[in-house]
Parts: sequence; structure tokens; C-alpha cells
Amino acid sequence: MTGTASRVELPSGIRQHHSAPFGRVVGSELGWVLRRPRNLLALLGLAALPVLIGTVITITGGPGGGSGLFAAVVGNGMVLPVLSLMLTQNLLLPLIIAMVAADGLAGEAANGTLRGLLLAPVGRVRLVVVKALGVLMMVLLAIGVVVLSGVLTGLLIVGGDGLVTLSGTTLPLGEALGRVALAAGWCAVQMAAVGAVALAISSTTEHSLLVLIATVGALVVFGVLEAIPSLDWLKPVLITTDWYSISDVLSDPIRTTDLLSGLWRAGCYILLGFSAAVARMATKDT
Amino acid sequence: MRRRNIALTASAGIAAGALGLTSLALPAGAQNPRLPQVSADELVASVMESDPPALAGRVTVHNELGLPALPGTGETGELLSGGDKSLRVWYDGQQRQRLSIPSGNGETTVVDDGNTVWKWDSAQRTVVKHPNSEETEVERPEPSTGAEPGEIAQRLVGKLRETSAVRVDGTASVAGRDAYELVLTPKPDERTKLREVRIAVDAEDRIPLRVEVNANGSSEPALRAGFSELSTGPQDAELFQFTPPENARVRTAEKPDTTKPDTPRSGRSGITSPRIEGDGWDTVVLSRLPEGTMSSPSGRKTDDDEQRGTGSTGPRAMAERVGSPISGSWGHGWVINSSVGSAVLTSDGRVAAGAVPQQVLIEALRDS
Repeated sequence: MTGTASRVELPSGIRQHHSAPFGRVVGSELGWVLRRPRNLLALLGLAALPVLIGTVITITGGPGGGSGLFAAVVGNGMVLPVLSLMLTQNLLLPLIIAMVAADGLAGEAANGTLRGLLLAPVGRVRLVVVKALGVLMMVLLAIGVVVLSGVLTGLLIVGGDGLVTLSGTTLPLGEALGRVALAAGWCAVQMAAVGAVALAISSTTEHSLLVLIATVGALVVFGVLEAIPSLDWLKPVLITTDWYSISDVLSDPIRTTDLLSGLWRAGCYILLGFSAAVARMATKDT
Repeated sequence: MRRRNIALTASAGIAAGALGLTSLALPAGAQNPRLPQVSADELVASVMESDPPALAGRVTVHNELGLPALPGTGETGELLSGGDKSLRVWYDGQQRQRLSIPSGNGETTVVDDGNTVWKWDSAQRTVVKHPNSEETEVERPEPSTGAEPGEIAQRLVGKLRETSAVRVDGTASVAGRDAYELVLTPKPDERTKLREVRIAVDAEDRIPLRVEVNANGSSEPALRAGFSELSTGPQDAELFQFTPPENARVRTAEKPDTTKPDTPRSGRSGITSPRIEGDGWDTVVLSRLPEGTMSSPSGRKTDDDEQRGTGSTGPRAMAERVGSPISGSWGHGWVINSSVGSAVLTSDGRVAAGAVPQQVLIEALRDS
């Protein structure tokens, strides 16, 4: 938990001009993220989820003609990774990402180690970049685990070669994997947006729990706002608006409209969150 | 000093992010284009003469008809049940076309490859095959007949002028394309719930791009169906082929598909059994449900949306649920009102519907 601080020497009175090598600082941060047992447990849980869904659907034969992606998974394994992403990105992935972002700045502040970092010969922008990279790595890891587990479960347990798209066309395995990669990339951008905002919240507080509550709470509130018809005008601003359109990668040709607007929105959130985190750190007194 | 610069830059970043988000919420402010003047007759004639080009586009249906949600009406009902729906269309310029209609997290795809119409439902994983293709026209402007298009146009406009004012009212920008707005307004003595119908016609290709139906007492269109994206040009031939996936159930339909998602302007044709009372905007369609049948015949599907209210499954049960009971010298029944029309189903199985207030329907029922 003492994080990066223990790795970086404190300056000795005189301001040193050579700062710690960037690669080493990043490596140390990533190492810390990976060494936290709760992060590893989270990844393990994520890996289990697609296996669980795939197995249950294969055993029960699916929801029997219901709507949604669940019905599409039966005998059509390549849908499973996308379904798993769709199910996890609503709360589970944001929760895990917020957890890492909370450890990054608020956790360090709570331990008193952030002060050391702020005094250390690491620029403040750099410090936020390093923390952001830690969050980003967790985003990629988490999504990678879900997708990998989903693809393997899809191939081994659910079965089916290639992908029957929602439009009824059949894609060969290679192209199907391409679609899955597309969904994963899109989801990564969305989750990076959540991470950036969580990091911004994390920079303002020293209570890790607050970061979790604020991030996940905001997502829940967004979901509620979306459901109120008279607040339709608010929808374009809510990050969650297009999250269900991740299944659009499964239609043929791909429905791009919502995916692209989702990307633009996530980009805005990333810029917003990262800038806010930098602004807060730059003005923070030690 | 350096820190202040960082803080300033970061603030600029926050502002830029916020601006980017608001740009999503703001409607794209397209200016109405300047186009050479054209008369209504010329415009209609050019629409009839033109063949729709090969195109790919997205059609968005915005609907505030005030219709109750009707169970069992399939994707047509879903398209009409309020809110925004969008479907994608492809057309190869001759006869082959493809539609894809999202539903929930699934999709319904209709492919017309020239000989066969395939309808794929991703939720049920079924493919329905219709060997002859004639029912899936969606974006065809007018049913093309053998006669001279200019003449038909004149006759059509002449006919329309008997009951409405037809004029070209300015221009519009639809899906990034310049368009003329053709406006039909009912004459004052027409007893209708509708205020006007606006049709945006592409200035270049002369295909209808958007239809807006405005009802009395509302400034927002009750129904707006039109392209939100459109690109013309040759389309990939593979789009118009369909091979059923391996584990899908394939069945061949006996009669033509009636669940086609039609835009409100597909022609009123082929109705034989129902009786038409009146003409123009206050036309009332009178019909009788077959004895004892709870599902209605497909022939009554016309462009009046409210008819679907009494259309699909269990008309009586549905009318009891969504309609309000009325009675008079003509009998007893249920009325369903929407912002653009009304429908009455009587307890003895008679149906009257039209884009009219319910009094007109009741008069028609009394006279029948």
C-alpha cells in the first residue's frame, strides 16, 4: 500500500535535476497494482463469470427464445465474450476500476504516502500519468481476462465454429475474433473513461471508499436518469447511454452510429477526468 | 509559476471535455439550403419519374401518436409504440433490398434477393422464407405503374387539390441532403385530426427523405419518419443475399408477409373487403371482423396506424383493455383515440377507423 513512495528517494534538500526514470516509476506502480490481493481476486472472479454463463446456458439450453443476447449465445460461442462484456461493464468492471483508482491517489493520501510522492522528484503531471497508467492497465487486464475467458469458454463449452451475427449472417472464426476484439477495444475506452473520472474523484479526497461510492453511485444515478422519459435531453451526456450498443458489433454490417457517439462521449469523459485530476494535483499543497 | 500553467492547461482540458459532451446534446444546426424554385406539380412529377438510386441509409421513426402499446404486433407494433426507433435500409437500385430492425439486443433482418424474401429473427432464431417478393417495399416513393409518370402526377395532385392545399413550402436539410418540403394541408371543411403532412423530397435524386405528420393542437410532429443517414451509390452485392445460419429453423410462409415495417406513406391499395366512407382527409374505413375470429385478416393493413390497434391479436380483448367504452343509437363499442386519429370497435364486430375525431366515426357507423 505504501506504493510508489517507497521506491523513490526523497530529495535531499537541494533540488535534483535528474528525476526518477519514468519507466521505473511506471513499472513500480504497475507492480503495486498487480500485487494487491484484492485486484488479483477481482480478475479471478472476472475470469469465472463467462465460464459460469457459458456453462449454465449450455446445460439449460438457453432462455428458450427470449430476447437479448442470452438467446443468441446458444451454440454460438463467439457471442459469449461480448455478452460477458456487456454484463460486466455496467457495474462490475467500473467497480474494479474505481477500486484501483481509489488506491492510486486517495489511498496514498490516506496512508500519508501521497505527500512523499508530491515531494519526490516526480512531476505532478507525471504522477497523475503514472497513476492513470496503473488504472489503464487494470482496465486492459480486466477486459482481457473477461474476453479471453469468454472466447475459450465459447469455443470449448458453448461450441459453434464462426459467429452467427444478429443479422443472421455467418462469419468465419477469424472475422468473429475481430468483432470480439472490436467490442473489447470499445469497452476499454468506455472503462478508461470511468477510470479517468474515478481518478479525478480520487485526487480530491483521502477516503478510498468515497471514490468507490461516488463512481458506482454516479453510474446507478445515470441509469435512473436514463429511465426518466422527460429527461431525454440529458441522455447524450450520460456515459452509460450507449453501453448496451456494444452488441451492435454483432450485427452485420456493424451498426456504427451509436458505437461512434459512445466513443466520442468516452473520449470527452477521459479528457475531463484526466484534466480534473491533473488540475487538482497541480494545485494541491503538500 | 509552472504549476499555474499546468493548472490552466488542465482547466482548459476540463472545459474542452465539457464542451465536447455538450456538443453531443445540442442538435446539429443545419441551415435550410437555398434551392431553385419548383412548383408542387413539378415536384410530384419528378418524384414519380425518378427511380430511387442504390442507397444505404438509416431511417429513424419518431412517434408521438399516443397509441397504447399493443401486445403481439411484432416489430410493426414496436415501431409504432412511441419513442424513437431506427432501422437500416439498403437498396441496390433495382429490386433487391435489405432491412435491419433492431429489437432489444437482437435484430430482425429482412432480405429481398429478387426471388425470395428472407426474414430472420435473431431472438427466435428463425428464418421465414417468402418465395415471391412484392411486400417488402419500404422506401419506394410511389408504386410505379405503366402509365406516364407526369400524367399520373398531375392526376394525383389534382385529386389531392380537391381536399387539400398542396404547396412547396421552403426547403429542409435531411440527413445532410438538401430537400424541398412538400406540404399537404387539409381544406377547412375536412373534419380531420391532422393539421398537415410534410414530405421532404431530395432535391437531387427526388426521392422522399422524410415524412412528418402534424396533428391539430401540437407543434411537434405526431409522426416523423425519415432518413437520418443516407448515402447513395452502388452497394455490396453480398448484402442482398441471405444464407440461413446452420442451426436456424427455416420455414416457408404460405402467404405474403404482413408484418412488414411500413412507413406511413405506403399507398392505400389493395383493400377490397373494407368499405371506404367519405374521401380525402375524413375518409373512414369501415369493416367487419369475421365471425368468431379473434385475429383479423391481413387485408386490412393500410397506412392508417390506428387500424393496427384493432388489427392483430384478439381485437376484442385488446379494445377492452386499451379503449374506452362508448355507446349510442348505433350500438355499443370501444373507442381508441390517438393524436392522429381514432378507431371504434363495436361489440358486434364492426370496425371504423380514420384520421378523424370519434364523432365522425360514430356518424359513419350510424349510417352504415
